Amino acid sequence: MMALCVVAAGIGLAWLALILGALVYKGTAGLSFAVFTEMTPPPGEAGGLLNAIAGSLLMTIIAVVVGTPIGVLAGTYMAEYGRFSRITTVVRFINDILLSAPSIIIGLFVYELMVRPMGHFSAIAGAVALAILVIPVVVRTTEDMLNLVPNALREAGAAIGAPRWVVIRSVAYRAALSGIVTGILLAIARISGETAPLLFTALNNQFWSSNINAPMASLPVTIFQFALSPYEEWQQLAWTGALIITLTVLGLSILARSLTGRREDR
Amino acid sequence: MTQMLSPDMTMTETVTEKTKIEVKNLNFYYGQSKALKDISLSLPERSVTAFIGPSGCGKSTLLRVFNRIYELYPKQTAEGQVLLDGKNILDRSQDLNLLRTKIGMVFQKPTPFPMSIYENIAFGVRLYENLGKSEMDGRVEQALKRAALWSEVKDKLNASGLSLSGGQQQRLCIARTVAVKPEVILLDEPASALDPLSTAKIEELIDELQADYTIVIVTHNMQQAARVSRQTAFMYLGELVEFDRTEKIFTSPREKRTQDYITGRFG
Repeated sequence: MMALCVVAAGIGLAWLALILGALVYKGTAGLSFAVFTEMTPPPGEAGGLLNAIAGSLLMTIIAVVVGTPIGVLAGTYMAEYGRFSRITTVVRFINDILLSAPSIIIGLFVYELMVRPMGHFSAIAGAVALAILVIPVVVRTTEDMLNLVPNALREAGAAIGAPRWVVIRSVAYRAALSGIVTGILLAIARISGETAPLLFTALNNQFWSSNINAPMASLPVTIFQFALSPYEEWQQLAWTGALIITLTVLGLSILARSLTGRREDR
Repeated sequence: MTQMLSPDMTMTETVTEKTKIEVKNLNFYYGQSKALKDISLSLPERSVTAFIGPSGCGKSTLLRVFNRIYELYPKQTAEGQVLLDGKNILDRSQDLNLLRTKIGMVFQKPTPFPMSIYENIAFGVRLYENLGKSEMDGRVEQALKRAALWSEVKDKLNASGLSLSGGQQQRLCIARTVAVKPEVILLDEPASALDPLSTAKIEELIDELQADYTIVIVTHNMQQAARVSRQTAFMYLGELVEFDRTEKIFTSPREKRTQDYITGRFG
């Protein structure tokens, strides 16, 4: 039995090691200063990924700025004000469905909701699609982390005469802070590799654009396009872009881990 | 301890003093189940009253009615009257947060807020008073001194409240409660999670605090009740069985159930 488990674990780890190995080997080959300073090139020419990196950053930031407050407030309602209400059970169920919904569906939804009425693809539509992916992750972690705050602490806050919202803001949030931040980081990690929702919304852009009302490049979509192309330079850039995303997600996960770890030490 | 039932049927001598809290025909429900049955008693001002009784007898429930902390949870309801200086605190028009600044509470497990020692105390004060820096410093120092904690923490006021030992944390909670200048302090088994030395310190503190505050303490520990309180209420299955001066309860109780409990025959 144990041998089977070890073999199974080994197989899983082996694939991961192979993927990471190939990624690092092929990705680092194209890693240069130009990747971060030059635009995506036309076929057959040298270039970088600057517009794609900038587009990903911008859309991720908008998605987090829009999605985080909604997620944190909804999670707060479920764990604090509505802890004993039926609505919370219903919202939690729906949120769990949203959490596991295929992201391509979210992309199509935002396509219908924004891209078709506006008549064109746009970065803002992409950001909204990503925000919809952020919300359920943040709702879930916020609710879970607030539920871990002992009720005795809330009672103590109420017992010195603090109004409900002050107890939530100054006591419960503070006690759950690292957990909530971890949830936000995990949400960023989740959306930074999403391709499907951006294909239907932000599309892509070969050039530098800071107009959120126009199509915008992003790393995942650029990788998708370049990896499928027959041009060697593009394929190389796709490998490098994949490495950048992977390292970013790895960094975010490590950061999230260290925050959670610190809470457990206390 | 005498095994004889006292024939003394005189009412409590404490009723002649000024009453701080008067409970009249109080019933309490957790959903459908009745946890307190027609409780009536008067707590005199500036003295320590202990509630004793076996687990589930309703002593903590009764304590939690006094600051209406039970209202944080659904399906818990109280009927009857609890008069604080003659005013019914169960009245809907009573401002809950103001009530809780007048009636402070310390819990079984120490509950320091996740902030510095200084902030733990300043937090409650800041809610209702607008003090300058030096005034606030003074108030924090005064509260910590009152809770016999000042000498231990005066050099690390910015350290986290969670970095203190259990006994220190509990005294921090007492300091935090005292800092908002309440009239009544409710103690819900304040020493049951502490070692004997810390317990002794807390008891000493209770003894000092009764000069200025009306104190109600729920305790499992009968010796503790005998040591710190002036009057004791014995509760059993949601009923107030007997309420009298502490030495009377422990030496010559009127009721057989009280006698059986304090001699350790049940509970």
